[in-house]
Amino acid sequence: MKLYDSFRSALQSLVVNKLRSALTMLGVIIGVAAVIAMVSVGNGASASVQATILNLGSNLVTVQPQFGNDQGLKGAGTQAQNLTLDDMRSIQNQLGASIAATEATAAGQNWNTQVTGVTEDYPTVRDWKLDSGEFFTTSDLNLNAQVAILGTTTAQNLFGDGDAVGQTIQLRQVFGGDRGGGRARILNFRVVGVLTTKGSTFGFSRDDQILVPLTTAQHVLTGRLNIVNAIVIKATSSDTMDATTSDVNNILLQRHNISDPASADFTVTNQNDTLAALSSVTGTFTLLLGAIGGISLLVGGIGIMNIMLVSVNERTREIGIRKAVGARRGDILTQFLIEAVALTGLGGVLGILLGWAITEVVHRIPQAANLPLLVTSGTVIIAVGVSVVIGIVFGLYPAMRAARLHPIEALRYE
Amino acid sequence: MNGSVVQLRGIAKTYHIGRDITVNALRGVDLDVRAGEFLAIMGPSGSGKSTLMNVLGCLDVADAGTYVLAGENVGKLSDDQLAAIRNKHVGFVFQTFNLLSRLNAIENVELPLIYGGDRRARRQRALAALEQVGLGDRIHHRPSELSGGQQQRVAIARALLNDPSMILADEPTGNLDSRSSAEILAIFQRLNETGKTVVMVTHEPDVAAHCKRIVRMRDGIVARDELVPHPRRAEDEIAAGIGAAK
Repeated sequence: MKLYDSFRSALQSLVVNKLRSALTMLGVIIGVAAVIAMVSVGNGASASVQATILNLGSNLVTVQPQFGNDQGLKGAGTQAQNLTLDDMRSIQNQLGASIAATEATAAGQNWNTQVTGVTEDYPTVRDWKLDSGEFFTTSDLNLNAQVAILGTTTAQNLFGDGDAVGQTIQLRQVFGGDRGGGRARILNFRVVGVLTTKGSTFGFSRDDQILVPLTTAQHVLTGRLNIVNAIVIKATSSDTMDATTSDVNNILLQRHNISDPASADFTVTNQNDTLAALSSVTGTFTLLLGAIGGISLLVGGIGIMNIMLVSVNERTREIGIRKAVGARRGDILTQFLIEAVALTGLGGVLGILLGWAITEVVHRIPQAANLPLLVTSGTVIIAVGVSVVIGIVFGLYPAMRAARLHPIEALRYE
Repeated sequence: MNGSVVQLRGIAKTYHIGRDITVNALRGVDLDVRAGEFLAIMGPSGSGKSTLMNVLGCLDVADAGTYVLAGENVGKLSDDQLAAIRNKHVGFVFQTFNLLSRLNAIENVELPLIYGGDRRARRQRALAALEQVGLGDRIHHRPSELSGGQQQRVAIARALLNDPSMILADEPTGNLDSRSSAEILAIFQRLNETGKTVVMVTHEPDVAAHCKRIVRMRDGIVARDELVPHPRRAEDEIAAGIGAAK
């Protein structure tokens, strides 16, 4: 029997029982659509998290002060004193050529907006270009220059559509400001640059901030000299991150005179590790969602088996006739198998369309607008492949029953 | 034996019903059918004629004895080999027509060619077969849109398609009125005149009287085997008037 004839017979019988075929297919359609939509959400969430992390800058190794439990310093109001600008300069000098850039951050303070003291390589480390103006330089840091870089939102709020570069802003000194009821000192800063738009990370707008030289922040704003909150090193590539991480660790251990790495007063985190941890979380999430979809696909498959058994039973006589005129077991088997696979295959294709439509609809929900839903070709291939396999698996038993029927008994069947 | 389409020797078949009951449906049947014969197999219920028909049509295999169909010993073949034999050598015509209701006339006729034989010019051959039984103008009708006589003619066209060694008809007029019965018998007679071998199972003497030879079964053996000196002519009976066939 030619495959063409098998297909024709199979499709004919599906068309004859339109409603039944459609309802049976619906099980598979919903199953496949569920898999597609669920996995897309999972993939989307995963991509979104990754993009967020990378938005902070790529290939980053971050050093943060570690509060030792035994030092009794945990709790509100304690500030780490153990990372300094000198540490950063030392890393910069020692690793020099093997890293891309290094940056330190000093305590930011919130008024209406975040003011952060950073060092000159900030734009390089954070992959963040300036929209206009120039970033401050090493000499600005050396001079504690009162210059500032604005985020786009801040610039917009302060100066509207006008050019912010060259304008003057006023910042209030923190230390002593509220002390003894004395008046806070107001300091003038000259705006030297405006950052490009970056969007928000984990819900915080990164465009509403003011960057000032780290030394300036320490001396004239916070009064916490030399202390930095974090040192961020940009490795030359993702591959060198592990080496950079251990280099940084060694340098700091040496500088801080710590022999046992376990009692280090700082922690070095590697962006790769963060990404790996997060992607294992989102991977599990995606797997879970996929499994939910998979279960509905399984239920759809059982529906296929059910309806194929009914169909074989109903068409016992037809099977007898076909056998009488010369159909072999394989011919009957193929016919019913193709029928099952046609149901699931077509259901799979429609399911993909439905799943894709669902993701498109979800896209239009404002709350989910930021969630990139990814219908990947891999998902589609797997969904179709799985539905075809389900057709074969669940169609095989009914088809074998049909093929095994004895022609005389089949012809006698009423 | 030259010229034999069918050669049965000592064919026996026993059925088991439940655990204890055995039915000896055939108990040593010897039968030869030569090419070009028009044979009726008669006998009361339980005489074994249906079982004989199943064995002849290779739908069932005998427990003992040898069966040579068109030169091939079909006694020990597998299911699939039997299917191929049926496709090539046997054209079935059933009492209940057994057409596929989903297919139209010409698709039903084409069916044997789907499973074997020369696949080329399938449609033309099906059309020719339908014209041979006088249904050239009904090729796209479904079985439900055809009368019983017309359905049986489609079934005959289907049986003819692979040019089988033998047309095996099981009570072909059993569900038809007299007029249609006569028409069907006329078609069989016409086919027989062109050299087709026809074996027909019937319990109606009036129908059997149209055949050239009658084999009577009783208790699982051939009880009588006789030639019909002057077979009745179905065409003449149609010309003489409706209902004369019975």
